[in-house]
Amino acid sequence: MLLRHAIPRRICARSLPPALTPWISPFNHPRIQRRGAATEGGFGATEPATATQNDLDFSPKDDIVSLAEKELHKLSLNDLIRFGRPPLPAQALLKSARFTREALPIRLSRRIVALRNLPYIIVSNPHISSIFENYQHSLRTILSFPRNHPTTLAEELDFTELLTTIVQTHQNTIPTLARGFLECRRYTTPIEVTTFLDQHLRERIGTRLMAEQHIALHLASTKSPDKLDSENLTNLVNDSYIGCIDTALQPAKIIQSCASFVGDICELRYGVRPQIKIDGDPDVTFPYIPVHLEYILTELLKNAFRATVESGSTTPVYITIAKNPYREGISMRIRDCGGGIAPENLENIWSYSFTTFDEDEGRNDDVLGRFNDAAGGADGSTIAGLGYGLPLSRAYAEYFGGSLTLQTSYGWGTDVYLKLKGVDVGAL
Amino acid sequence: MPPKLPHHPNLRLAVMSLARVRRCITIPSPQPSFNRVIRRALTISSSCPPKHRPSRALDEYVAKPARPISLRQLIFFGSRNLDEKRILDSANYVRTELPTRIAHRIRDMEKLPYVVITNPHLSYVYDMYYEAFDTLRKIPNVKTMEDNIMFCEIVREALKEHSTVIPRLAMGVLESRGHLPAETLDRFMNTLLRSRISRRVIAEQHLSLTDTFLNPTHFSSRHRDPNDFVGEVFLRVSASSVIKRVGAYIQSVILQLHPTIPAVPEIKLEGHLDTTFPYILSHLEYIIGELLRNSIEATVIHHHKSTLASENASITTTPEHMPPVTVLICNAPRHIIFRFSDVGGGIPESEKSDLWSFAKSHRNRERLDSFKRIPKMYATLQELGTEEKESGVLAPKAKEEVRKEASLHGLTYRPPELKLGMGLPMSRVYAEYWGGSLSQTTMEGYGTDVFLQVEKLGNRLEQLNIDAL
Repeated sequence: MLLRHAIPRRICARSLPPALTPWISPFNHPRIQRRGAATEGGFGATEPATATQNDLDFSPKDDIVSLAEKELHKLSLNDLIRFGRPPLPAQALLKSARFTREALPIRLSRRIVALRNLPYIIVSNPHISSIFENYQHSLRTILSFPRNHPTTLAEELDFTELLTTIVQTHQNTIPTLARGFLECRRYTTPIEVTTFLDQHLRERIGTRLMAEQHIALHLASTKSPDKLDSENLTNLVNDSYIGCIDTALQPAKIIQSCASFVGDICELRYGVRPQIKIDGDPDVTFPYIPVHLEYILTELLKNAFRATVESGSTTPVYITIAKNPYREGISMRIRDCGGGIAPENLENIWSYSFTTFDEDEGRNDDVLGRFNDAAGGADGSTIAGLGYGLPLSRAYAEYFGGSLTLQTSYGWGTDVYLKLKGVDVGAL
Repeated sequence: MPPKLPHHPNLRLAVMSLARVRRCITIPSPQPSFNRVIRRALTISSSCPPKHRPSRALDEYVAKPARPISLRQLIFFGSRNLDEKRILDSANYVRTELPTRIAHRIRDMEKLPYVVITNPHLSYVYDMYYEAFDTLRKIPNVKTMEDNIMFCEIVREALKEHSTVIPRLAMGVLESRGHLPAETLDRFMNTLLRSRISRRVIAEQHLSLTDTFLNPTHFSSRHRDPNDFVGEVFLRVSASSVIKRVGAYIQSVILQLHPTIPAVPEIKLEGHLDTTFPYILSHLEYIIGELLRNSIEATVIHHHKSTLASENASITTTPEHMPPVTVLICNAPRHIIFRFSDVGGGIPESEKSDLWSFAKSHRNRERLDSFKRIPKMYATLQELGTEEKESGVLAPKAKEEVRKEASLHGLTYRPPELKLGMGLPMSRVYAEYWGGSLSQTTMEGYGTDVFLQVEKLGNRLEQLNIDAL
């Protein structure tokens, strides 16, 4: 915990205007008190940055509020492909970098504003405040990069490394936030939490995607793997990929790999591995982001498999894939015979619920244990058991105009309908 | 043969006024032409607005609240120790409820824009409702069994007259699309239909109970086990039998409509097949008929299309093998859930918004034409039997049983080529009437799943009110 606080403070002392000073610990931060910036809402947002201690190149208007008020550019799949198919020529790559440099601060500012508008008692929880500081740190970092830059490939490399750092910093946001909200559940309502998290996590999808897309385009366009993740390199230089998008994504393949992964977990935990059957159009392909689809399918299959095993059913899980004949996109139906969802639980499945945890403090070890597993695990399994799977999958599905709905027959099974829109890559 | 006129002056008036109404719309056999029917109907409502009536009597009834009941109450009331007192209580409940409920709907109609109510179809419905209201409110307290028999006769006649209401309402709503937004029209239609169902339910229940009381030997001819029925409520509806029976009928209808197909899609049942529950059979048959009709027809048309374009389609189906319609019966603790899954190609995005609406935006012309061609809607009951024999497709119900819910039966077993386009919204009104639900999810390019949920325990009250108009 000490380490987490140390970094922002150091940067603060060096180069921070009061507008970006963290507000969390006003008593520990002499700067704020001296400048009397702790007015309504704190943060000194109403004060423009003064000319002092400012060796950063950004205009006085770039304080958080005015940034957050700028129009949020909603990321569409088209945005991701408009710079062209990799390997990108230098100019296109630089354009992509500059687009990211311009759009990312707006997004980060919005998240900061949303966080700081939460009740004090919540934001002062150490987990929430650490996430809060991460966002501020990331905003400062990216603002430290000059506007209308990079203009050279060397600058672009720096910029991409900066992006990579930001992406890595925010890797564990969800479990950390979840833990924080869990600890604060007495001071808030489920609706408040769901409203905040829904907005936050949805915007986070776009923000991360924006950064990761540029990183991926960089990797595919430059010949130097460098310090960046070599694991993804083979995927990225694949012909059908445009950054994070696979233009020839075959859902059936993703289903198979997710089913195998989730099946492994089941076998480990229950000693049983439910079967799946794919029907409809297994050969269909469409342009989409594989990690998103993987995440959604993993969560949905987890639910279906768990229900199947716990109800003792031997019926396989049927997954139907259909190509939409009217526009680019697919529909998928995951049908299980796992007994369905009881009406009293049905209302809660879409909320970011933490109420399933025991109130008794004596069970803390178990709770902490869950979080430790969660934080340690990779990709989709990070939030096992936190009740975030369905609402987060829906956020992913809806991000590019798709949908995730559910119909249950209590006493028999559940049908989950996933519809996704693709992007018309024929224009490229 | 008109009934013998009763001695009581009010009842006498009532029967006479009904007879007058009947004369205006009696159709000479055998087959009426639409124009003649309309001309007659227009003598009630002319091309100018409905007759002005002082609203004092109506105000009085509008002020009274309706007293909704639950299926359980219906059953409980009629199942044990049916004696004369209970019958008379039932008669007086019906006697006061009917005008109250119809008064609320008349007032709803009066609040619609002038231009809407002067539409000839809606004007006709308004006049019919008002006549019925006037008749019913003047009926005096039912004190003896003889009074009750007369009362039943009046109610029976009123039910028969009003079998023309649904198509007229639907046509009026379609023609009024320019004057009111579709949502308002839909809400109006839903409220009116719900109220109509509710009036028919309590009226028919009373008629049935009277019948049971007076003619206990009638049962053997009806092929009904007396323990299974309380009035119109069938205590042990077998979900799978209903689906098989209605399904077989729909399959024959579809075969008639598409004679060139090699086979009609199969209806596969799965789930809790021995589920039984109490319900009003005609309601369930109507809903299931509509849903199966949609599913099977979609499968046939989609399959036909894809076999025509089989070199392009990625779905490989041999011409002989048509994908079945799968029906799941799920016995949940408080509900029965039916899931109809078809591989009928799904519903395109463009048609989705109209799906649940009575005031649709496309294919209105064809729908209006179809409504005008429903002879069963206009005909008196004698014609109903002829119709069935002529069409060659025998509806599974015996003729006497048809008597009660003539219009619903007429809808369920209508000629196959009539596409009214209101199967879904109508089914939903029926489903929601006892607190159930109907919803649908489609996978474009593949097929559709429809979920029908009905309350099992029968303790939900009639859902009479939606939003206030």
